[in-house]
Amino acid sequence: MTKALKLNKSAEEGILEFLKYLLESGKVKGVFTLKRISKNSAIAYSLITNPDELKDAVPFYPLMPVNAGKLMSRFTLKEGAKKPVAAILKPCELRGFIELIKREQGTLDNLYIISSICGGVFPSRTEVDRSAEKKLPKYWESVKKGEISPDLRSVCKACEEFIPYTADITFDLLGNNDIDKHSIFYLNTKKGEDLAKDMKGDFSEKEFDRKKLEKINEKRQAEKKKLYDEIGKKMNGIDGLVEIFGRCIGCHGCSKVCPICYCKLCEFESPDSEYSPSNYETELRKRGGIKVPPGTIYFHLGRLTHIGISCVACGQCNDVCPVDIPVADIFKKVGESIQKMFDYVPGKDVEEEIPLVSFKQEEFAEIEE
Amino acid sequence: MERKIGVYICECGPNISEKIDIDKVIDAVSPIEDVAVVEKFKLLCSADGKKFLEEQIKKNSLTHLVVAACSPKDHEKTFMMVCENAELNPYLFQLANIREQCAWITEDKEEATKKAIRLVKAAIGRVKYHSSLEKKEIDSIPDVLVIGGGIAGMEASLQLASKQRNVYLVEKTSDLGGLVKNYEKTFLGMKPISDIIDEKTKKIDSNGNIKVFKDSEVEEAIGFFGNFEIKIKRTNEESEPVEINVGAIVLATGSALFNPDKTPEYGYGKFENVITSLEFEKMNLSGKILLKNNKTPNSVATIHCVGREERGYCSEICCMYSLKFARYLKEKLPNVKVSNFYSDLCIPGKTDQKFFNQTKEKNVGFIRSSNIKLTKKGEQLNIEYDDENKNKQNLLVDMIILSPAMVPNDDATKIAEMTGVSQDDEGFFAEEHEKLNPISTSTEGIYIVGCAKGPKNISDTIVQAEAASGNILSSLIPGKKLEPEVKTSQISESFCIGCKTCLTVCSYGAITFDETKKISVVNEVICRGCGNCVAACPSGAASIKHFKFNQLYQEIKEAVK
Amino acid sequence: MNELKGGIIPSKTGIRETIIDLIEKSVDKGIFDAVIIPMKVPSGDSFVYVLVKDKKLLKDGFPLAPTMLVQGAKAVSSVTRLGKGNMKIAAIIRPCEARATVELAKLGQADLDNVTIISIDCPGVLPTSDFLEDPDKYLKKFDDAYKNWDDKIMRPVCQICDKSSMVTGDLHIGTLGAKKDTCFIISNSEKGDSVAEKLDINLNQNLDSWNSKVKAISEEKKKKRIKAHKELKSTVSGLDNLVETFSQCINCHNCMRVCPVCICRLCYFDSDKVKHTAEDYLTRAESKGSMRFLPDTTLFQMGRMMHMSISCVSCGNCEDACSMDIPVGQIFSMIADETQALFDYVSGRSLDEPIPLVAYKKEELHQMEDAND
Repeated sequence: MTKALKLNKSAEEGILEFLKYLLESGKVKGVFTLKRISKNSAIAYSLITNPDELKDAVPFYPLMPVNAGKLMSRFTLKEGAKKPVAAILKPCELRGFIELIKREQGTLDNLYIISSICGGVFPSRTEVDRSAEKKLPKYWESVKKGEISPDLRSVCKACEEFIPYTADITFDLLGNNDIDKHSIFYLNTKKGEDLAKDMKGDFSEKEFDRKKLEKINEKRQAEKKKLYDEIGKKMNGIDGLVEIFGRCIGCHGCSKVCPICYCKLCEFESPDSEYSPSNYETELRKRGGIKVPPGTIYFHLGRLTHIGISCVACGQCNDVCPVDIPVADIFKKVGESIQKMFDYVPGKDVEEEIPLVSFKQEEFAEIEE
Repeated sequence: MERKIGVYICECGPNISEKIDIDKVIDAVSPIEDVAVVEKFKLLCSADGKKFLEEQIKKNSLTHLVVAACSPKDHEKTFMMVCENAELNPYLFQLANIREQCAWITEDKEEATKKAIRLVKAAIGRVKYHSSLEKKEIDSIPDVLVIGGGIAGMEASLQLASKQRNVYLVEKTSDLGGLVKNYEKTFLGMKPISDIIDEKTKKIDSNGNIKVFKDSEVEEAIGFFGNFEIKIKRTNEESEPVEINVGAIVLATGSALFNPDKTPEYGYGKFENVITSLEFEKMNLSGKILLKNNKTPNSVATIHCVGREERGYCSEICCMYSLKFARYLKEKLPNVKVSNFYSDLCIPGKTDQKFFNQTKEKNVGFIRSSNIKLTKKGEQLNIEYDDENKNKQNLLVDMIILSPAMVPNDDATKIAEMTGVSQDDEGFFAEEHEKLNPISTSTEGIYIVGCAKGPKNISDTIVQAEAASGNILSSLIPGKKLEPEVKTSQISESFCIGCKTCLTVCSYGAITFDETKKISVVNEVICRGCGNCVAACPSGAASIKHFKFNQLYQEIKEAVK
Repeated sequence: MNELKGGIIPSKTGIRETIIDLIEKSVDKGIFDAVIIPMKVPSGDSFVYVLVKDKKLLKDGFPLAPTMLVQGAKAVSSVTRLGKGNMKIAAIIRPCEARATVELAKLGQADLDNVTIISIDCPGVLPTSDFLEDPDKYLKKFDDAYKNWDDKIMRPVCQICDKSSMVTGDLHIGTLGAKKDTCFIISNSEKGDSVAEKLDINLNQNLDSWNSKVKAISEEKKKKRIKAHKELKSTVSGLDNLVETFSQCINCHNCMRVCPVCICRLCYFDSDKVKHTAEDYLTRAESKGSMRFLPDTTLFQMGRMMHMSISCVSCGNCEDACSMDIPVGQIFSMIADETQALFDYVSGRSLDEPIPLVAYKKEELHQMEDAND
């Protein structure tokens, strides 16, 4: 049983009330969440310190302009927060942050994480062509019913990790028919309880509705199967990869927006990966032609090798690709198969070591055989 | 790594203590993280003060030191020495100037105190990011390379050799002596010079400390003061270059004459018997002043300032040697008519006026003129000119001597690029400072003397040669260790993309390009830490030790917060 | 600037076949060992640059591709950055790519000793997102537009490009003003002369019809350019407008990475210098009550502009790659015009012209001195 806080406000208002209370009470010095930031209402993450600025905050807006886990890493990379800050992160953003923390790229010190049972996000296209606003009502209807909105990112539709693992507070969204009238905050940790305890609202003991969430999960699994089948057909050996990545221009945008890719200088951008004239000459002796710049598939396979174990399938890579390659679909599928080999769920537990650096004697026995 | 910063505020007698509320400053900075101790002292630069600081560092096991006192120009080195004595790396120290930049600029004690607090906080913020830096010491080579075997080069070589330095004298022609070896006499005293030159040449040839390379050129000169690597090659020969190491280089490469081809109104190359001053000197030295048809001339005119307008400067010596020519002529051909055509006369110096007057007395005509045009009239040459009153005049003469401007040698640019020495607008080698450092260049250890840096007479040339020698003898002492700049530039090997922007803007030639790795590399011994490369590098691959981004950022942040 | 000499070659079957033919002949005669040329990808929905040695593969070459995903200068740089190698290479690229290649050579990022740059009169290039909607349809649209030299479907920067026939490489294929079933082959260098000679092409033909057509088109485009820039300026001028224009930018830095002249291995704006502590960020947020995170979006744009506008060739790849459809190519191109004009510099015009940043002229920027009076 978890403690829960209920407010008699819609989800949209309730979360803002809560954030206002956090700032006004001084329990946190800053709140990190989505906000309308310009005259034309561009939506971006914002660090809010003045409660008056909350009026433009839109914490559960179904957009992910940047993976906030990456932002939290940047926030705490040089030095952890010295004053308490609350951050509203989606489950995959939180998991991305946890994976980065395991790699010394951030810290949870003085951070309160508020997440939600997530209904997914729109591709960033919808922000660009301004169709997000129009799609919102349908989106919330789907969320309330626990259905999969047709306007979501492909990987959101297929996501089974919509319940956050390590948040201090989880906001009940997906499958909650009541979000027009009530806000439910699950206080998962002692930190979360302490944070909420002086808020004016109804406290009770509440459990997640496991049955309902499992039903939703089934729908997501079905979508996942469809996604994997579709992308699996295309990923047919090297030829399949060459087809899929044929359009790739090597812009490395996928790497730059990926929450897990954290190297200062990517191996594939370093002098080590450059071809010298003699490399080209050698290659041309073996085959009649070589794409320039070379190493397209090598980059993607390399990146898969490096980060596949921690891929949280947030879908940022799909959005940023200028030539619409379904990178996220591929990385989700391959990432999951790598993770399954180690029974590893990225971002589930900050204490759990990354398989790459942990040795278990009883491991891969099947290979020995 | 645990940091323990010690902050010490100097009262500087009444200078600081009466203008700033030091106790307030102490209160303000004591709670700062990593600050272990904050104290004030009457006079930190005194013997007691220094002893106090040294003891404090040791007693408190300080990892960093901040002193709030006077200007770094005054005592930065003092306190760095204290650190060294206390076995704390002297670069883990920051001096906050709360005197010249604070106490001494306002009477308002409150404002001064506020600013002092900011300055001390800034120093603390900065020093946290300091790194230990080590002094370097290198052996200097006391030998010297002299490029150019004219009077300047010969003089410098003899001076240096007299103090037991090894001198390598490189001359591109087959003989030493330069321009001067063509003169019979020098102006002013009309004293014979060629014997003197012969004697000097013999002295050099027989001096065991001077190795002369004739018919040779310097092909490469890389390195830095105290350690230059030189390649000397015989011209027009397929031989291996000779490699030597020297500590200093003297550029005494002389100059050339303006080519009168460029001023066709003087008929050079068109008419016979129009010759340049150098050609006349040689003719005079040979003993026979003759026209092309082997007759002796009855009338000779010297035209001053040939090319002065084109070059835009006065070449200092031509008027004087034109007077000398008048003397030569009168000495050897007593009945010859001599006229000097000039626009302005340049007769500086304490005895030059006398020389001019005496020359005039020898019945030499001085004609102030403009718009000179030469034409041929039979066997003679007609000088058409505008006189002082702008009236058109004509003068028929047998021979015309042109006094052309002195210009840089053809290979001046090549030598400048090879040694990293700058050239001025006219193409001569440029000195470090035209008034205060007239013979050193922006490259330490390379000196420019004589006509290589501009038109010059013999005595000034000798002065410069002696100056360069003196400078070298006093700064490049055998056995001396050189301490190059510590706060040098660094270029990250992984982040440099090899665009060479830094290389182009480095004034000291301290950056070279590694063709294999395709990156720029800083020579930390030549680098002076000026920061041009850091400013020019777009990615930030270049940075300066002790002035890293973070260090400056923290300092500024604390100052303006 | 070299004097242009030109010859006339037959072009019966279409410009792409003409160029392939020319290249095949050249490879046959050993003039080139390999060619950098666009090719269709296996999935048929894109074009990439390929370094081709095998003659058989050459037939699949697709010069004047409808899209320009990788800037040709990047392709040439990829092959020659670490040296000139032993192969004689021809690069079939557009004028803006040729200009960028020249800039890269000046920045030490390409060695052109063994490279022969062959450019072609360029009608523009399609926005990639349009092309991807329906590759076959748009290829046809492109070819039609090419026939009529109609730029309406091309990238916004292409529509106002007045340098679409600028010759800066070694050879240039001139289709404008050419008689039916022919095209011009114009030489701009000794390398170009030598290639033409080996191919038995007489370079003494009259180029007047090409010159006048090019001039007319350039002038018309120039007028459009001035008008477009005036309009654009009014929407981005002033800090508020500037911030608003870039408000949707997510700092993915795609623009920077596809830009041919952004060469830094680690961009300043990705480096440690823009990373600060949580406390610093919080302090900054407190000063205004809220702060976009990560901050300094516009700083990145302005910083990049400052660093590269002197070399910008207005290719528009940045805008094409922008994940948020910001008109970054148009803006940067507009500012680049002005930056370069300050120094009478046209990026990529000549290999011998040093980049103004590292060239000191005593007579320069006097307007700055006067401004203080």
